[in-house]
Amino acid sequence: MVYRNHNNLDLVNLVQNQKIEDHLASLQYARMIQKALLPEPEIMKGLFKDYFVLFLPRDIVSGDFYYVFSRNQYICVAAGDCTGHGVPGALLSILGISFLNDILQLKSDPKANRILNLMREKVMKALHQTGEKAETKDSIDIGLCIVDPANGKLQFSGANRPLIRMRQGVLSEFKPDKMTIGVAPLREQPFTNQVLDIMPGDTFYLYSDGFSDQFGEISDKKFKQKQLKKLIESMSGLSMSRQKSFLKETFYQWKGNCQQIDDVLIFGFQI
Amino acid sequence: MMKLTAFRIRNFRSIIDTGWQSLSPDNITCLIGQNESGKTSILEALRVFYTETISEDVLRSDLSLPDVSCRFSVPEGWLLKITDNPGTELKELLSGTSHIELTRSWLPDLSSVLKVSGAISQYLDSLEDAWRIYLGDVTVKMEEELENISSLEKALENVNLKEAQIRTKLPNLDPKKKGIKSLFKKNPAEEVPLIAEDPALIVELNEILKQKEKLSKELSAKQLMKKTGETWKTLLDKCTALENHLGELSLKLEERHQQMTFLMRQDDEDDLAWKNVLNDYRITRRDRDLTKADLDRHIALSGYIMDGYNERDANAKVNEIIQSYKSQYNSEILGKKYFEYCPVFEVFEDFGSLLPNRIDMDDIISGNDKVEGYKAARNFLTIAALDYSFFQQPSSRILKQKIENLNYTLTTNFQDFWQQSIGRNNKIHIQFELDHYNASCGDKAGKPYLEFWIKDEGERLYPKQRSRGVRWFLSFYMELKAAANLNNRNMVLLIDEPGVSLHARAQEDVLKVFEDIKDKIQVIYTTHSPHLVEINKLHRILAVQRDDLDSLRSTTRILDPLRLSAASPDTLTPLQSILGNPVAGEGFSSKKFNLIVNDTGSYYLLNAIIHLMGSTTKISVIPSTNVSSIPLLCNVLMGWGLEFAVLLFENDKENQVAGLLKDTIFRTDNSGRDLIIRMPETFYNAEDLLSTLDFKNHILKTREGITVANSEYVRDKKIARGFLFSRFLTEVTSGNLKLSNFDEESQENFRLLIDVLKGVK
Repeated sequence: MVYRNHNNLDLVNLVQNQKIEDHLASLQYARMIQKALLPEPEIMKGLFKDYFVLFLPRDIVSGDFYYVFSRNQYICVAAGDCTGHGVPGALLSILGISFLNDILQLKSDPKANRILNLMREKVMKALHQTGEKAETKDSIDIGLCIVDPANGKLQFSGANRPLIRMRQGVLSEFKPDKMTIGVAPLREQPFTNQVLDIMPGDTFYLYSDGFSDQFGEISDKKFKQKQLKKLIESMSGLSMSRQKSFLKETFYQWKGNCQQIDDVLIFGFQI
Repeated sequence: MMKLTAFRIRNFRSIIDTGWQSLSPDNITCLIGQNESGKTSILEALRVFYTETISEDVLRSDLSLPDVSCRFSVPEGWLLKITDNPGTELKELLSGTSHIELTRSWLPDLSSVLKVSGAISQYLDSLEDAWRIYLGDVTVKMEEELENISSLEKALENVNLKEAQIRTKLPNLDPKKKGIKSLFKKNPAEEVPLIAEDPALIVELNEILKQKEKLSKELSAKQLMKKTGETWKTLLDKCTALENHLGELSLKLEERHQQMTFLMRQDDEDDLAWKNVLNDYRITRRDRDLTKADLDRHIALSGYIMDGYNERDANAKVNEIIQSYKSQYNSEILGKKYFEYCPVFEVFEDFGSLLPNRIDMDDIISGNDKVEGYKAARNFLTIAALDYSFFQQPSSRILKQKIENLNYTLTTNFQDFWQQSIGRNNKIHIQFELDHYNASCGDKAGKPYLEFWIKDEGERLYPKQRSRGVRWFLSFYMELKAAANLNNRNMVLLIDEPGVSLHARAQEDVLKVFEDIKDKIQVIYTTHSPHLVEINKLHRILAVQRDDLDSLRSTTRILDPLRLSAASPDTLTPLQSILGNPVAGEGFSSKKFNLIVNDTGSYYLLNAIIHLMGSTTKISVIPSTNVSSIPLLCNVLMGWGLEFAVLLFENDKENQVAGLLKDTIFRTDNSGRDLIIRMPETFYNAEDLLSTLDFKNHILKTREGITVANSEYVRDKKIARGFLFSRFLTEVTSGNLKLSNFDEESQENFRLLIDVLKGVK
């Protein structure tokens, strides 16, 4: 009898392990799909003078996403952060990418804030959000830029995510609207459009809150936005690839053996 | 305090069930529809909700009895103030209630009961239900108990029978015959001594005697219950008999209604047999209700008697349980109570409300409302604050002086109130005089009467000698002034086709008067006239039509503002008539530039945008009835030689019309002007000039995500554009919405539109 029990246990373990393996395999496949939806490096190289993407998902799939799209003289750049992480976040991020693709097909000249306004409509419709109490409150925080290199202009509109510009070693932060892409607590308001002039050598950063919200092993405190800005300021003058390595090293150094709490995304680009 | 917000009418003339119909929140509601559609029935139903009195002619052919419900808004917490000592639960319910519903239902004798309905009655009914369930449970238990008693009685009967049989087999034990009396003690259960010939029989007899004693004891303990059961059966039989009798009487009443409706006859007050039936019905109904209450109480009493209480204690317990189950209030009591605060429903009608030439004082004093002009005369005396004692002034000089002063005051007040021009030079003087019939007037000789005059630049005419329009205005003024004397109670004024005899401009004045009084008096009126409908305020309109437009036997249906587009063209005639002439001062104009747009929806929106942008461009927007009517409208304007252009949006229909206009109507135009204005291709219709967010926030007032063009959304959801955009225009013109309330996308589009229009000019 004892022998048979052992046998059964082995069988259960085998089945469970098989299930976990199947599960992991399907997640790995999901990651491949998600990766396929992100812009290809080859395309981005052609659009920017230089750029980097620090993309460190917490799980196999990520709730953060970045987006690049070009039409006529315009380049649309965005970095999004969906509520949650892992599978739920990834599903929403796929919706977000799909919505951006859809919106940017419109023939008229793109406006950053109108893109976010339209994206919010799509998210609210997809998630059946009508402002009623008992509905899902999932949403996407996003920073979105429309770059017009020909005219030296950049439009920025942010849903809870800011834009940072480094110009000749000086950091400027462009504040986002304190709204998300999803149902608002009271009433949806229009996003604002900020139009900036671009100067040669300007570097722009869009990012999720994963880096600044990460707890450090030594201090048991969050890295924080202020420190991240200082870090970006300190990298001024470095090449984009060096900046990426520097950020990555700093992140892992700070995190130490602490668990990564959220997906991390920083998108830096030079025009 | 109570404001009428909605009504529901069932089984009234051509109406089977209107469903709940909301009145316009700005206190003016207009019923439009063809003749015989049921508009007047709606007003009548609301009137009888207040007055209670109906006649057979309002009954439907199936004789189902009418009921009319009205929903009123009340300040939160107000009901609590006027309801004495409500229980805890009712108190909680009343404190949070901001609406009450009252329903008047008519009974076969055409009397009525008024009940509070809706949430309050649901609560009261739930108490009644719980009480019924309790009584039901007790009744079941009681029936079992009575069955049990009946079984015991049968068992005792059997035992007695058996005893008798045994005794016949034991002749020597017959104490009378055998002289063995002493063998049987007083107690029959005492054992019989073993002296019988057959000892087995003696044993059996003893056994039976024991059974008999047991059964007798049990039955004796249930005597009270038995008595209670007998009373219950009597009451139940009485109740059933009364119910049956009531059913028979209802049938008789129904037959009578049928006959009267068929013959279109009025009730004959001298019909004694009929009066007896009515009395019998009312008495039986009252007896039935009383007996039913007795029966309920008796059932509750039986429950306690079954539990072993004596009659007195059981009665005390019944009082307790009734209090715990039943509120001191029921729907009827509360209905009556709240009705005391209900607005006064007044009908303004041509017959009784128009000022007469002359009316007897006796008729006024006795309240004889069948006399022509009674109501107008009564109103006159009310606003003059006169009662009968005034006319008993012994000095005729003082009386005349007083009357002269009153005439002056009334005239001045009327002229102040009525800003519109009526009569020549706006100088109408109202005058009344008290006089007495002379000796040639037979019975009336010496009796007082009032005579009315309307003086105009020295010309003294009886009211009936003046135009009906002037009489109407005067009488309406008096109705309103008299209403102002109501003791702080709101008023709902029901007017059937106001100003039907007035000139179009004067009819528009009637609308202005409604606007003036709407804060104090709610107005519900019917009309066929386009001049009594404001195109900017479609939310005020309820369209009334028959289900089958060609059959007067079909039922009345009401379409609220959101469903106006579903009304038949005939029903919407007043609206159709004002398309192209939307508001006073606008419409086709030789002084302005006429801009034809696809429909009334676009008309409202474009006017709102022009208003928002504060544009000084002199443009009169002309709505076509629909896109296909645009060429016709162009023909008319060309024929009249007016300056105009057509604004077309980017959609299939309007693209087709653009082609048609170029190829046909505008082909002959050699002025070189561009008579067709095209909006850029992103604007499929006027509503696309607003950003999605502004469209949702300011027009749809919804928050659901919209991922298509506004116009596509409107089309897909079959939204009543006219109504929504009319409301939008009202909000804009009233200043509730300003340009700063719109986002930069909308503002940019608005600027684009205005630039396009300026370009045309």
